[in-house]
Amino acid sequence: MVQIKKKKRPDPEIPTSSMADISFLLLLFFLVSTVIDVDTGIGMTLPEFIPADQQTTVPISKERLAALLINENGDVLLNNEVIAIPQISKTLKPRIESKIELPANKKLVVSVKTDRKTNYNLYIQALDQVKLAYFEVREEYAQRKYGKRTIDFNEKSEEIKDIREKIPITISIAEPEKVKS
Amino acid sequence: MTFKKKRASSTAGIPTSSLADIVFMLLLFFMVTTTLREVDVLVKYKLPEAKAIEKIENKRLVSYVWVGTDGRIQVNDSLTKLEEIQKIMYAKRTALPNIIVSLRIDKGSDMGIVTDIQQELRKASCLRINYSAMIKI
Repeated sequence: MVQIKKKKRPDPEIPTSSMADISFLLLLFFLVSTVIDVDTGIGMTLPEFIPADQQTTVPISKERLAALLINENGDVLLNNEVIAIPQISKTLKPRIESKIELPANKKLVVSVKTDRKTNYNLYIQALDQVKLAYFEVREEYAQRKYGKRTIDFNEKSEEIKDIREKIPITISIAEPEKVKS
Repeated sequence: MTFKKKRASSTAGIPTSSLADIVFMLLLFFMVTTTLREVDVLVKYKLPEAKAIEKIENKRLVSYVWVGTDGRIQVNDSLTKLEEIQKIMYAKRTALPNIIVSLRIDKGSDMGIVTDIQQELRKASCLRINYSAMIKI
């Protein structure tokens, strides 16, 4: 009898060589589609809302007030004097610096006031200058006192607390004259 | 006498079996870190530029308000009327007390709309805001 030999079949195997290619393709897709958009901007804290009839005015001495006014034509007034926007930080810096060692109730207050028709970009530019002045003063103070840059400090360290206490950023957004309510 | 060169019996080759695993690992990493944009921005806007800007360190706290070139306001994923901002933001604030509102306002806008939005936010007591701006080099 002729024995019919069963042909031995090769072991079934999933081809894995192309797996890497496929996963590379997927990887590429995710790499390309990922948008790492960082949120950057100028941080502010708004004042609490108080109805108009309960508002009280607190007098602020001229000594510690820097009033910044931007009108609809794009003219900028700092303490009633016309100023170009890039000059704001230079003008404010010495005033902030002179008040580092003064108590908290004598620090500089920057008040920013705009018209309803003022361009938003101008407002941001002016605000940016004010912030820049504060940041530069902080940076110099940190460099002088601790010999470090402000970003090198730990967020919860005593030094950063000291810097923030000595040079607080007080920007007051003036109550608009006419508010739709 | 001739010397026969000894040859390694195995054929040289880079083992590719683990390549897939490595790539999958990378893939997983990217899949996990990717945050797909969950809202469609319906307004057209161009952000202003500024130098003294800060990064928002905690993205989970951020909520956006867009204002387009045509003055339309978008909150969440739909266009909103100015009067409704207070209600929406108040609901958001109760869910997340230390919310930061990022204002993505077109640089050609008037301050009028900005102050109006700010007043609404103040009424909703969302006081931490951030004027979104691009870094100026």
